[in-house]
Amino acid sequence: MRSVYRVLVALLAAEVLVQGMAITFAIARLFYWIDQDGGVANKALFDNDNAHYPGATAFMIHGMNGLLLMPIIALLLLIVSFFAKVAGGTKRAGILVGLVVLQAALGLFAHAVPALVMLHVLNAFALFSYAAITAHRMGSADHLETAGAATV
Amino acid sequence: MSSERRRLLIAVVATLAILTPLAVMWQQSRLPSSYSVMDMGYADYGGGPKAMSHHELMGRSIATLVADPARKADVSVTLTARRQRFTLASGRQFDGYTVNGTSPGPTIRAVEGQLVEVRLVNESVTDGVTLHWHGIDVPNAEDGVAGVTQDAVPVGGHYTYRFVASHAGTYWYHSHQVSHAQVQRGLFGALVITPKGAVQQLDAVAVLHTYGSRATVSGQEDETPVAVADGTTVRVRVINTDNGATGVWVDGGSYRLLAVDGYDLNAPTPVTDESVRLTAGGRIDLEVTAPARVQFGGVGTLVLGSGAATKPMPTKVLDLLSYGAPAALPFDPERADRRFTYTVGRHPGFEDGKPGLWWSINGHLFPDVPMFVVEEGDVVRMHISNHSGATHPMHLHGHHAVVLSRDGKKATGSPWWVDSLDVASGHSYDIAFLAANPGIWMDHCHNLPHASQGLVAHLMYAGLTEPFRVGGKADNSPE
Repeated sequence: MRSVYRVLVALLAAEVLVQGMAITFAIARLFYWIDQDGGVANKALFDNDNAHYPGATAFMIHGMNGLLLMPIIALLLLIVSFFAKVAGGTKRAGILVGLVVLQAALGLFAHAVPALVMLHVLNAFALFSYAAITAHRMGSADHLETAGAATV
Repeated sequence: MSSERRRLLIAVVATLAILTPLAVMWQQSRLPSSYSVMDMGYADYGGGPKAMSHHELMGRSIATLVADPARKADVSVTLTARRQRFTLASGRQFDGYTVNGTSPGPTIRAVEGQLVEVRLVNESVTDGVTLHWHGIDVPNAEDGVAGVTQDAVPVGGHYTYRFVASHAGTYWYHSHQVSHAQVQRGLFGALVITPKGAVQQLDAVAVLHTYGSRATVSGQEDETPVAVADGTTVRVRVINTDNGATGVWVDGGSYRLLAVDGYDLNAPTPVTDESVRLTAGGRIDLEVTAPARVQFGGVGTLVLGSGAATKPMPTKVLDLLSYGAPAALPFDPERADRRFTYTVGRHPGFEDGKPGLWWSINGHLFPDVPMFVVEEGDVVRMHISNHSGATHPMHLHGHHAVVLSRDGKKATGSPWWVDSLDVASGHSYDIAFLAANPGIWMDHCHNLPHASQGLVAHLMYAGLTEPFRVGGKADNSPE
């Protein structure tokens, strides 16, 4: 269970990186299309269900990851934390769930208030750092335990 | 109990505390394989008298709500729906759906008062098709909504629609079976009703549609010339078949906005350096004198006569709340029999078992949405507000509603009648209509993917029964 906990935490950190890469690629690709290919982006294009505009897939990945996959991972982490013997594991999982929910909410509300994307980016760093530090600390602790066990 | 066992017990209880509500929500959101929209959600009487439930009342079937069967048709058209690869007017190839081999399909023209008869034939659309007469207040059985007013027409099948072209204006037709996919991929066309006895006015029809990532005007991607002599006045009928609003403006002179959603405006004045925001599913008629250039969101252009230089979209948008002059309404909205609220929000949950962030109506997720119940002759008011973070072009079938106010600010211009109204997030509208067309009518978002994500409610007249079901044998899927 402890290793499952650690894998899920690491997965959350990795997801933040995927999200950053997907959204920046999507925007860069769309601007390339407009700038180099004379593409025209308007509301009809974005509202099209099966729009195949360049960058559309990356936008979709960002949305699916953020609104579905990451909340599921966070929830699984919380459940695993009840069983895994990780010191402060449930508290840390709870904080990560909170950060994931906040991140999704900021992303959504940014559609109405664009300036919120700045907080969305800051919170992404917070989420990544907290997940990465948690995973790293668990690794160090495991390493110490194994090292300690070996010397006995 | 050992501390280890106690720990495990707490863990199991905590897990169940998280998963049980989710499982219950998931289970409750599951839709049966077939259902009647009359059984959906809960009845909302808008403060009016509670009509007897349809279960207790053996009412008239909506299938009987048709145009006079004895009357001969004045305009007869056969429309054949196909799944195929086709060439747009621009020359580009597109894989989608056609009507009589083209997309947009043929423009149907009728004179006010004529009886229009359209025979729909499904040659090869495997999901089945229907035709909905967007903006025409047809009898309910002719409304063309799969699973609500008819069964989807399967491959090899046919269906005949009959209705009186009762009100001159610009309209369109489109499939209302798996509509979010079929409309986007080409299954639609224009329908123009011209006034009876009037001198035939020169008109140009511009059907806006985005095929894949290409915005077109009646299938053209660049400029579409309209061959008229300079000095000629043209009625430009613009139809937005896309899922989002677009700005329309004129370069090279002023224009007048003659009509919105098929209804003429009263005393429209000349407009310069302002654009008109055209709702998804909505139509506008502009009066433009050549030479001029009519632009649609900057992605398509009609060039009238010798044309005019291209200008960017004016930043100012024409406010229809104060455009034109007031005129008497056919009913008094202050003496409403029923007052409904239609609030669009968004919250996480399950829809038919799928987790996600879904549109809500009055705080409820589809299918637990209100059924707005009215009686024939009621004056109905509706307060539509939107807190969902996205714009919703709200479309009420079978009726035209007049806009009374926006964000509490009263309308002071011409009566502004709509069947498709863009409600942006953070805004609200008060509208009113006369319940004079019995039936079961969809009242949904015409950003069709939004409708398929549950932004659909219905308006129902008391005392009717309905023989059709969503799902079922015909695989009806109206959204």
